[in-house]
Amino acid sequence: MPPAIETVDLVKDYGELRALNELSLTVEEGEFFGLLGPNGAGKTTFINTLVGLVRKSGGEARVFGYDVEADYQQARNAIGLAPQEFNVDRFFPIREVLMHKAGYHGIPEDEAGERADEVLKRVGIYDKRHERFDWLSGGMKRRLLLARALVTDPDLLILDEPTAGVDVQLRHDLWDLVTELNEEGTTILLTTHYIEEAERLCDRVAIMNEGHKVTVATPDDLKRRGTDTIEILLESTPPAAATIESALGEYAHEVSTNGDQLEIRVDDGGSTVPQVLHDLEAAGHEIADLEISRTSLEEIFVDLTRQEDRSVTRSSASSAGDSEAPDAGEQEGEQSQNQNQKQEHGHEREQEHEQEHEQEGVA
Amino acid sequence: MLSVGFRALFKRELLRFVRRPKNTFMPPAITNVLYFAVFGMILGGRIDEPVEGIGYILFLIPGLVVLGTISNAFENASFSIFHGRWNEYIHETLTSPLSYVEMVVAYVSASAVRGLIVGVIIAVIGRLFVPISIENGLFLVATMVVIAALFAGLGIIGGLVARDFDDLTVMNQFILRPLVFFGAVFYSLTMLEPLWQAVSLLNPMVYMVDSVRYGLLGYSDMFEVAPAAYAEFAPLASLGVLTLLTVAVLAIDVYLFKIGYGLTD
Repeated sequence: MPPAIETVDLVKDYGELRALNELSLTVEEGEFFGLLGPNGAGKTTFINTLVGLVRKSGGEARVFGYDVEADYQQARNAIGLAPQEFNVDRFFPIREVLMHKAGYHGIPEDEAGERADEVLKRVGIYDKRHERFDWLSGGMKRRLLLARALVTDPDLLILDEPTAGVDVQLRHDLWDLVTELNEEGTTILLTTHYIEEAERLCDRVAIMNEGHKVTVATPDDLKRRGTDTIEILLESTPPAAATIESALGEYAHEVSTNGDQLEIRVDDGGSTVPQVLHDLEAAGHEIADLEISRTSLEEIFVDLTRQEDRSVTRSSASSAGDSEAPDAGEQEGEQSQNQNQKQEHGHEREQEHEQEHEQEGVA
Repeated sequence: MLSVGFRALFKRELLRFVRRPKNTFMPPAITNVLYFAVFGMILGGRIDEPVEGIGYILFLIPGLVVLGTISNAFENASFSIFHGRWNEYIHETLTSPLSYVEMVVAYVSASAVRGLIVGVIIAVIGRLFVPISIENGLFLVATMVVIAALFAGLGIIGGLVARDFDDLTVMNQFILRPLVFFGAVFYSLTMLEPLWQAVSLLNPMVYMVDSVRYGLLGYSDMFEVAPAAYAEFAPLASLGVLTLLTVAVLAIDVYLFKIGYGLTD
């Protein structure tokens, strides 16, 4: 079986701005895969390239072996997408919206009706089936997006920030539901910036930053990449950190003191503790208390993307010296200009949105 | 061609306007009752027959049918595409496995149906004011279908190109309407000076109105104003050219969908 998603050197440029930078990713069939990254990392652009809402500028992208451009019909048929934005047909009651979507995917009308009822029940808004989208609450709208993604019974379910801005109850409901779907065999691609969500749900995660892949690993692997802190309370006031450091082996990356407390940073707290105790006692220190605090995935994520940012800044600074490369400062200026334009555009849209209701009458 | 997906989109497009008759069918019905009452009855009673044997109201009907048909076909397609882009729910179609040809044909045919329904409504209203007998039925139906599809196809382009709702209004009010009004809806080309007759022949609407008038009343201005050798074949030639134009416009629609113009980033 070909992988559920396979991209090779995928590139998307918006003018000067490179939103996807030679991104190569593989998501295996049946996997629960997380895409993590700060805002603007390119997660949504990546997803939209797969479903045909963004045209790639270069590279390859396949869904279950189908090229997203050459075999667009097969690729799109395999995907159910619950996007971040509320892009739902406002003219029809939600049950009909779901039936239409199922119909576009070739599901005959009778069956489409049954499926619509089934998914509305599954996400818990069946009693709202005759309402239009605009009359649903925020949480229900989120549920409907999921229902619409499910109504075509997709092999690949893509969830773009499904829990952004939803309450705890709904978040847990969604988690339960997607876990169940994954167990039933649906491949799931989840984008999120909630680390807890990725840790809890995903088999593997890719961390993205500024359009490219920083790393791909299991959440456990990632956590192992972080350092743990062993906090030790000594019976007597500890001497200078340097003195203690000399008593310890190379495993101690950093030693610091904080009043009576000694803090030692090591790779793996659990396995290093006996050695630490041994070395400290050998140096004549008596230990009163000890605690290991593990790095959270969140800290590792911040660390990884920060390192990235630093290296990106460095590389653009060095390329500024190159006469052919665009000036780094100028690039930054352009980016912020782009942002301003976007904001203005957003403002325009808001204003025009008001007009829209007046204008709808014209239709 | 008639896949389940195509039928689903076609039905969605039909239901969108059928369920909103107050917005879609009532306005042209009321406007045309006014046209017939004022231009046809009150003013028309004082106007000589523009063409021998055809009273003014009867002469008006084909032009008003064309005006209603094309503006509604255009408006429906442009609005449906633009509103879908505006609220981004056109993504429901774009992310589905429909082919680009199926998408375009579904949007165009549903909009053409709206145009044709409005055309029939106007003809029926006209019939209330004056008796009509259809002279060339098959030719009339073919011409109506072609021009409805043509303007639905143009509406798709309008909906893809528009940047806000005002653009749609501009297209309909400032481009379509003047062309139709100067397209010999309210007068016969024979009433114009030779210079203005020649200028009028550059207006594509003239041929549409004229063809429908030929289909409905059996009279064509072309018989009078076109060069003698051409006059006899004028209606068929118009239909042929309009058909080619429609096919070309639909091909542009499909191309725009394929490259994602106005639809994808």
